Amino acid sequence: MTDNGNPISRKKFMEELRRFQNGSVSRRHFLGVTGLGTAMTVMSGAMPGLLGGRAQARDISDRVILATWPNYHDPENFEAFKDATGAFTQVNVFGSNEEMLAKLQAGGSGWDVFVPTNYTITTYVEAGLIEPLDLSKLPNYDPAAFEARFSDAGTVDGTVYAVPKNWGTTGIASNTDHTGGVVDSWKTFFDGARDQWSGRAMVHDYQLTTIGNALVYFGFSFNSVKPEELAKAEELLIDVKPHLFAISSDYQPAMRNGDAWLTMCWTGDGKQLNTDMPEIGFALGKEGGEIWSDYYAIPKDAPHREAAYALINYLLTPEVNAREALAHGYPVADSRTNALLPADLLNDPILYPAAESLSALEFGAAATLTDPNRAELMARFKSA
Amino acid sequence: MALTQNQTRWALITPAGLWYAALLLLPLAVVLIFSFGERSTVGGYAPGFTLEQYANLPARFAAFRNTLTLAPLGTIASLLIAYPLAYFLAVKVSPRWKTMLLVLVIVPFWTSILIRSYAWIFLLGGRGIPALLDWLGIEGVRLINTPFAVLVGIVYGYLPLMVFPIYVALEKLDKRLLEASADLGTPPWRSFLQITLPLSMPGVLTGTMLVFILLMGEFLIPAILGGGKVFFVGNALVDLFLQSRNWAFGSAVAVALVVIMLIVVALYGRLAKRFAVNRDDMDLM
Amino acid sequence: MRLYAALVYLFLYLPIGIIALFSFSAGRSASQFQGFSTKWYGRALENPFVIEALWISVEVALISAVLASVVGTMAALALTGMKGRLKMVFDLMIHVAVMIPGIVIGIATLIALVSVFDIVNPWLEAVSGFRLSMGYGSLIAAHGLFTMSLVVILVRRRLEALDRALLEASSDLGAHPLGTFRQVTLPLIAPAILAGFLLSFTFSFDDFIIAFFVAGSETTLPIYVFSSIRRGVTPEINAIGTMVMAASLGLLVVTQVILRRGGARSTDVQSEPVERPKVDRS
Repeated sequence: MTDNGNPISRKKFMEELRRFQNGSVSRRHFLGVTGLGTAMTVMSGAMPGLLGGRAQARDISDRVILATWPNYHDPENFEAFKDATGAFTQVNVFGSNEEMLAKLQAGGSGWDVFVPTNYTITTYVEAGLIEPLDLSKLPNYDPAAFEARFSDAGTVDGTVYAVPKNWGTTGIASNTDHTGGVVDSWKTFFDGARDQWSGRAMVHDYQLTTIGNALVYFGFSFNSVKPEELAKAEELLIDVKPHLFAISSDYQPAMRNGDAWLTMCWTGDGKQLNTDMPEIGFALGKEGGEIWSDYYAIPKDAPHREAAYALINYLLTPEVNAREALAHGYPVADSRTNALLPADLLNDPILYPAAESLSALEFGAAATLTDPNRAELMARFKSA
Repeated sequence: MALTQNQTRWALITPAGLWYAALLLLPLAVVLIFSFGERSTVGGYAPGFTLEQYANLPARFAAFRNTLTLAPLGTIASLLIAYPLAYFLAVKVSPRWKTMLLVLVIVPFWTSILIRSYAWIFLLGGRGIPALLDWLGIEGVRLINTPFAVLVGIVYGYLPLMVFPIYVALEKLDKRLLEASADLGTPPWRSFLQITLPLSMPGVLTGTMLVFILLMGEFLIPAILGGGKVFFVGNALVDLFLQSRNWAFGSAVAVALVVIMLIVVALYGRLAKRFAVNRDDMDLM
Repeated sequence: MRLYAALVYLFLYLPIGIIALFSFSAGRSASQFQGFSTKWYGRALENPFVIEALWISVEVALISAVLASVVGTMAALALTGMKGRLKMVFDLMIHVAVMIPGIVIGIATLIALVSVFDIVNPWLEAVSGFRLSMGYGSLIAAHGLFTMSLVVILVRRRLEALDRALLEASSDLGAHPLGTFRQVTLPLIAPAILAGFLLSFTFSFDDFIIAFFVAGSETTLPIYVFSSIRRGVTPEINAIGTMVMAASLGLLVVTQVILRRGGARSTDVQSEPVERPKVDRS
């Protein structure tokens, strides 16, 4: 029920969502007008203690430090967390898993919670950088509510080290005004990048996806570390490089102002771009690509462990998670959270692609993180 | 408790000495040691003693090449732009305005280069100068994410640093020399070449050396304006420590960079002696 | 010539003007002006991350500038008139500290401190429950290295140009060395110390590359701006940038005024040598 008691129409919902994501209307307005605010109030009223009030006997410090990805959270959730527990969330933003790993390896990162992607967790465990999670401190985490494939990377050798946040895919965003149709194949992407769309394509500054999708172009596995296959991928990348607009994981500005017409793209960004500029389409590559799942984890020697657990527990609360999902626009694997999201979002082909198109995608593999050849390849590609 | 002069000196110099030992000598020593080590399997440093990192330096040849071409280019470009301005300020401007105009040149330098470079993303991007050129009929000009963009960013960022030493040198010029020269019938361009230019050389040298040295360690401008396509040694270092996490190799690259810089400084010292530079002019303000 | 100078100034200030211009854009895009609004200033000032980053930057800059000024001045006093090996060593270290690229010193400091902490922490933690980590301390120490060297250079220049006659006169008149220092030397080198302090503050506040490596989990304002630039920009960054630039400009203007009023002979931040009066020593 919305503020005036009538259910909101599908069209009006999408309109309001767009206005909200544009920043034209406030969160309060959006929640009120779509009825989600009321829903959440009802829910939290029905289940007291969801927000983990000060009634908790645990000693939570006044701050918690979160290392995460850009535009990945709703800042108001942090406000509410502070109001409920007194802990202020300090957010550090990173653009790649390698950077997070490097920071943790350098030691003394000072993080309490961080957001690793599925393929990195075994490496963290091997390097002794991550804590096993005490699930008794995470009552809001219900393993059964999550799809297994999006949560099993968090368990290594039977011990749970990480709990799932959201999942997503890596596909192609294309400006159909210029590309004459949505680009849905890596062959088209790379061939076009060096040919008819020269100077208009972007790839990620991230070895996993850039090398991975170049491998997929040849029909190899996204996660290959075989030297012959890597050599072919490198050839392709170096051939394409002079024609690229940029090598950057920050592609939204360039796509928005029309400098770039084509880019490797993550789901949430694809959704945001498509919402604001319908001429930008997002599609998964036919030949393959990446499907991934991001997790919450706690590094060893986190300075504010209790606060870390409190924060993760809070963010996994379905209502809070729903607000997060509305903010970041990535799909969530938690069925309880999805129950709170509007049907339109759940049916959105960008966010929740049909199962068939997902089948060609692969989850990233740990080998890509540790293999020195892939890292060197990326460095050679960038300096070429 | 009266201290002897010697004891006083020791007391005064110790804090600084400790600071240098801990935060200059120690870090440089560690880098040197690491450069002889190996990459550990998950990334990072594994102790060892091998020259393989140095042997691998050619893998980053492109980064060194980019730096050693764009840095001199940027230095020369900023010298050519800075000199006339410094001359104008030192010689042609009345004392009343001198300070203010000089401060106006320096102020951009003391505001974050990050923010200033960011403005060029717009100016060189599709909605900036290329849009203007488009309107004038020159189409399809791509400026951002090219070595040219990095060059512009470099010149823009370091211009004030080049202007200042040249200004200081020209300021000390005794105008009466120029007057005398004119009285003797020398054409202005001759006076410039024979009097002004040589006397300003110390400033020119200081400026060029400063800018060049700083440019060699540059990372931010290529990162912001190069769109990931222009790779300097600085970018290679960041990548080696923060992405591919090969600390041993990164240390070797860092050592190589420092060695190149020391050579440059030594060359400067040689040149400076030729122009009989006063040590005081090795001032970095 | 005037035209040329005007063009150069235009070149210098055009980007700054663009930043300021777009900070007033009402839309979300930082590259398209969509109506006038000051809302981004409000947003920036309310953004807790911005405020926290600003606060950290100011604190670190202040503390490191104070330390650098004090320690640097002390070192300059010790080095003036010193001869021999030790002086050469210090001269070398000072120049290396100033010339070494920020990226090299940032990385070197990171790996050195991390290695040291790895060795020291297990023992330290067992004894006191306390552990060393990268953060405020490493930031202040790393920034201070460079800025202290600046202070030494500036103050030493001033000291060496001081008229020895004044100091001799003071001690001839029976003043205790400390008194001579307080009443003669200190006032004369004060402008250089002040200039050093202000330069140190500005350097530390604006520094990105060293902080990027040694700040641990602390986010300084430049680090915040850099990660924002990398990730999708709203005019909020423009607003922050404009405010920072205005503040820097203001600080520099204040410096100028203080230096002028303080009766310093020089009119820019670099002190010129004091003229040696011609003393008839016959």
